[in-house]
Amino acid sequence: MSAKPAVREPLLDVRAVGAGYGGMPVLQDIALTIYPAEIVALVGSNGAGKTTLLRTLSRVLPATGGIVMNGHDLLPMTSDQVFAAGLVQVPEGRQLFDRMSVQDNLLMGAYRRTDKAAVARDLDRMYAMFPRLSERRQQLAGSMSGGEQQMCAMARGLMAAPVLLMIDEMSLGLAPVIVEQLMGVLSTIRDEGVTVLLVEQDVNLALSTADRGYVMETGRIVHSGPAKQLIDDPEVRRAYLGL
Amino acid sequence: MDLLGQVLINGILLGGLYAMMALGLALVWGVLNIVNLAHGAFIMLGAYVSLYLFTYAHIDPFLGLPITAAVMFAIGYGVQRGILNLIVRAPMFNTLLITFGLEVVLTYLAQLAFSADFRTINPTYAGDSIVLGPVVLPLARLMAFGVAIALTVGMWLFLLHTRLGRAIRATAQNLVAARLYGVEPRHLYAVTFGIGIALAGAAGGLYGTVSQINPYIGAGLTAKSFAISIIGGLDNPLGVIVGGLFLGILESLTALYIGPTYADVASFGVLVLVLIVRPTGLLGKAA
Repeated sequence: MSAKPAVREPLLDVRAVGAGYGGMPVLQDIALTIYPAEIVALVGSNGAGKTTLLRTLSRVLPATGGIVMNGHDLLPMTSDQVFAAGLVQVPEGRQLFDRMSVQDNLLMGAYRRTDKAAVARDLDRMYAMFPRLSERRQQLAGSMSGGEQQMCAMARGLMAAPVLLMIDEMSLGLAPVIVEQLMGVLSTIRDEGVTVLLVEQDVNLALSTADRGYVMETGRIVHSGPAKQLIDDPEVRRAYLGL
Repeated sequence: MDLLGQVLINGILLGGLYAMMALGLALVWGVLNIVNLAHGAFIMLGAYVSLYLFTYAHIDPFLGLPITAAVMFAIGYGVQRGILNLIVRAPMFNTLLITFGLEVVLTYLAQLAFSADFRTINPTYAGDSIVLGPVVLPLARLMAFGVAIALTVGMWLFLLHTRLGRAIRATAQNLVAARLYGVEPRHLYAVTFGIGIALAGAAGGLYGTVSQINPYIGAGLTAKSFAISIIGGLDNPLGVIVGGLFLGILESLTALYIGPTYADVASFGVLVLVLIVRPTGLLGKAA
């Protein structure tokens, strides 16, 4: 074993995955690799199959192929087991518990965790990472601004102690200045060792923060590589950035 | 003046018990979106459980309440797991139909098992009372009031400050997100319904110490619980205390000034009025 050269083990390894709705194939031959502590962007226009891929990874949809995370084969698991294995989703549209306090929302993220001391530590960590949430811990989540709500949703996801955090359409409907702040938060999260899969319609935005990227089109991965390289790819620029 | 004071006291004592009766209905309604028409039948069952514990095992109806509540919790959990989970996201009409059926079945099973006779739970202190200046506080009613208020406030604190209470509120507000973070709805629904039925059963045990029971008291108690939930609002468990006290006092005053037969007219008149003027309840937040 020790003779082997140091190869980075992937955290998530997706191979030849196909999935669809009621016999109608949507995803075809999807291959995707995510390494520990990196931000990977999954981009593509509306209807490209990004959300279907998310649902497939969370094991909501039946699929073929191979999905391995951290040595666990996710394919035969239920969505509950996948969550327990550490694949945590921050859903599109935030889906907060609107009439509960910020603190209660964060604690719901840790619902399945039994180590009270670790949960309390993580709660403090969230408040340090999101000072705005700290000021508003007893405020009802639904009464905050869109950006604050997105922060709350991300903090709730982090409270589940994810191995891999999947964030669906983080920037949707938010002002550019707020989105910029959230992108800064993503880098902080990454630097703390959390791996992030960022699913975005806003290609430019996602690729400018991510380490690597995958571009989807009609259910297939059509481009992949380091994010900086994708931004400069003439084909990606023409198709998605209007340049 | 003494009479008015006494009537107000009676109304308040009755109202506390009403609040506890309504609490389980409001909880189930708010979290599962099921208006449980069999709620009163479960109150009735709880009263018989307490009665049998008292009659055959000689367990004091107040000390026996935890047993009654535990038995009723098990029944409630089973009913939700076995029957109501099948229709929990079905249209309202289906849930009304199935819980109405449940109420009929429970009522007539109770008639077979317990006979149609009027019964009371009569501990030795049933006739005792405390004289406080011009008014008299019947001991059993006072104790029932105290237990009812304590359990209602306790329930409120449980929902606010415990992990399970938080999950119950979260599931009521956003099922999709609750599932996403590991809540298992079928189990949680069954626990919630079990708690609601345990509260109903305990309220029944208290009711049996202050009032006569028979297998048919359920439907009327469901209607009262429903009115209290509407008047108080579903948002806040303390709403049922407001609704319960309001209804208890209103019924007592109506009985005094207009006549006992008009008590129900007054309470349901107020129900209609609240629905028109303030549909989210007295304590409910404006939509």
